[in-house]
Amino acid sequence: MNPEKLREDFPILVNGLNGKPVIYFDNACVTLKPRQVIEAMNEYYENFPACHGRSSHKLGLKVTEEYEKSRKTVAEFIRAKKPAEIVFVRNTTEAINLVANSLELKKGDVVVTTDKEHNSNLVPWLFLEKRRGIKRRIVPWPEDGNLDDFTEAVKGATLVSIVHTSNLDGTSLPVKEIVKISHDAGALVLVDGAQSVPHKETDVRKLDVDFLAFSGHKMLGPSGIGCLYGRYELLERMEPFLVGGDTVDDTTYSSCRLSKPPEKFEAGLQNYAGAIGLAAAVKYLKRVGLERVEKHEKTLNRIITESLLQHEQISVIGPEDPDKRGGIFSFTIKGIHPHDISAFLDEENIFIRSGAHCVHSWFNSRGIEGSARASFYLYNTKEEAEKFIEAVEKIMKIFG
Amino acid sequence: MYSEKVMEHFRNPRNQGKMENPDGTGVAGNPLCGDVMKFYIKVRNGTIVEAKWETFGCAAAIATSSALSEMVKGKTLEEALEIKREDVSSFLGGLPPIKEHCSNLAVDALRKAIKNYRERVKE
Ligand SMILES: Cc1ncc(COP(=O)(O)O)c(C=O)c1O
Ligand code: FES
Repeated sequence: MNPEKLREDFPILVNGLNGKPVIYFDNACVTLKPRQVIEAMNEYYENFPACHGRSSHKLGLKVTEEYEKSRKTVAEFIRAKKPAEIVFVRNTTEAINLVANSLELKKGDVVVTTDKEHNSNLVPWLFLEKRRGIKRRIVPWPEDGNLDDFTEAVKGATLVSIVHTSNLDGTSLPVKEIVKISHDAGALVLVDGAQSVPHKETDVRKLDVDFLAFSGHKMLGPSGIGCLYGRYELLERMEPFLVGGDTVDDTTYSSCRLSKPPEKFEAGLQNYAGAIGLAAAVKYLKRVGLERVEKHEKTLNRIITESLLQHEQISVIGPEDPDKRGGIFSFTIKGIHPHDISAFLDEENIFIRSGAHCVHSWFNSRGIEGSARASFYLYNTKEEAEKFIEAVEKIMKIFG
Repeated sequence: MYSEKVMEHFRNPRNQGKMENPDGTGVAGNPLCGDVMKFYIKVRNGTIVEAKWETFGCAAAIATSSALSEMVKGKTLEEALEIKREDVSSFLGGLPPIKEHCSNLAVDALRKAIKNYRERVKE
């Protein structure tokens, strides 16, 4: 893999900003988009900007063809059995809300999560607790890989809803093992793949998950498109969450006949350009190879970790071993507010994120105000890692 | 990034810490970053005689509270209420644009402390 070559596909990396190069280390939030994705989307807008399914003219047919081809590309990417198991949604948050609202959880049903969930996989369950009286169990993150707490918590649970890779520190859960434990206890498993699908090979059949949620914007794709993968039998059984146009095959004044999945869940006119752009992103990632991407991110993380952890004022959130944190280096510097770190780096055109990263619950329970987070992707380079190290060391001098 | 004066206040913050038996207390939160500021005042004959503050905020928040706590000393409540975010920021030699929102914290917390004082006096 040659990041230098890949960078040519990303306009902002080529052009820079205000006459200075850009070091983009906020990939866990949103990634940059390659030309190929932008062009694929423009092609929709320029050449066949119509509606799928409903219109039978040439443009409509072209949209249907391209939209369904995109679904197939995404399905193959995560090794789903068939394209119909992919429901296009706006993002991970919407995918999780879809499951939360469509599973028809009742009073007393138990939902298990970890203590390191993004708000997207916490707040929907908080609401169901209030509205429908579901029960929640929160399992401490198994830092040492011991799954006894999970085994205990999933007993009698209806759903286990867990993040695959944490956006806070980059650590990953042994999803396959947790799925096994959960299925043995009769619980379904929803995996928040927002941070895993973009960075490592994901095989829903090998993992045996029931649902997988992810967002296009974190994997070179456009914003406003994401996916819910669901096992077809489950999608068939579930009631849709949003209903109206496109979710039904026929209606009378007093009744409607629901469509099959995935149409049943895709209410109203869809984000065709988004789906087409996401498929282009998937093709790009496949061409580069996710195994190589993962390895590259760890290399950069190792360079940064080994340098910066030599300073005793710097602590990393999560394990020190970069191999366990993939493409995320989330850190604090004693005496320097995380927002000062990011604001200073911003002046150098180094873009990272600071704060609670939408995992407020984790920070609040520990009384930590937040962290600064650098996150990497395929277009980042060793030189950028070195510049980042220099800049962080400079901050320590200035604020020290 | 920060002016000399901001860094000077950040390194040697004035009046930082909790106040015992304050006459007024105000708390302000910054919705953009989640940081919180607490401001305490002591008032004699309508004049602020002492001000202290506590925050987990960034250097801009620390410097603005430090500066504000000096600026309000000896001012009447009316005068103190007239101090604007821009006054503190220019007192400090300006703040970077992405940090301007931080200077709201101190000013908001001070105003709330004054309001709190007035409510307590009324009772
Ligand atoms: C682990 C995780 N889950 C969920 C989300 C939410 O993704 P989206 O905002 O695309 O819905 C994110 C995004 O930051 C994330 O990192
Ligand atoms: S970033 Fe929160 S107060 Fe400045």
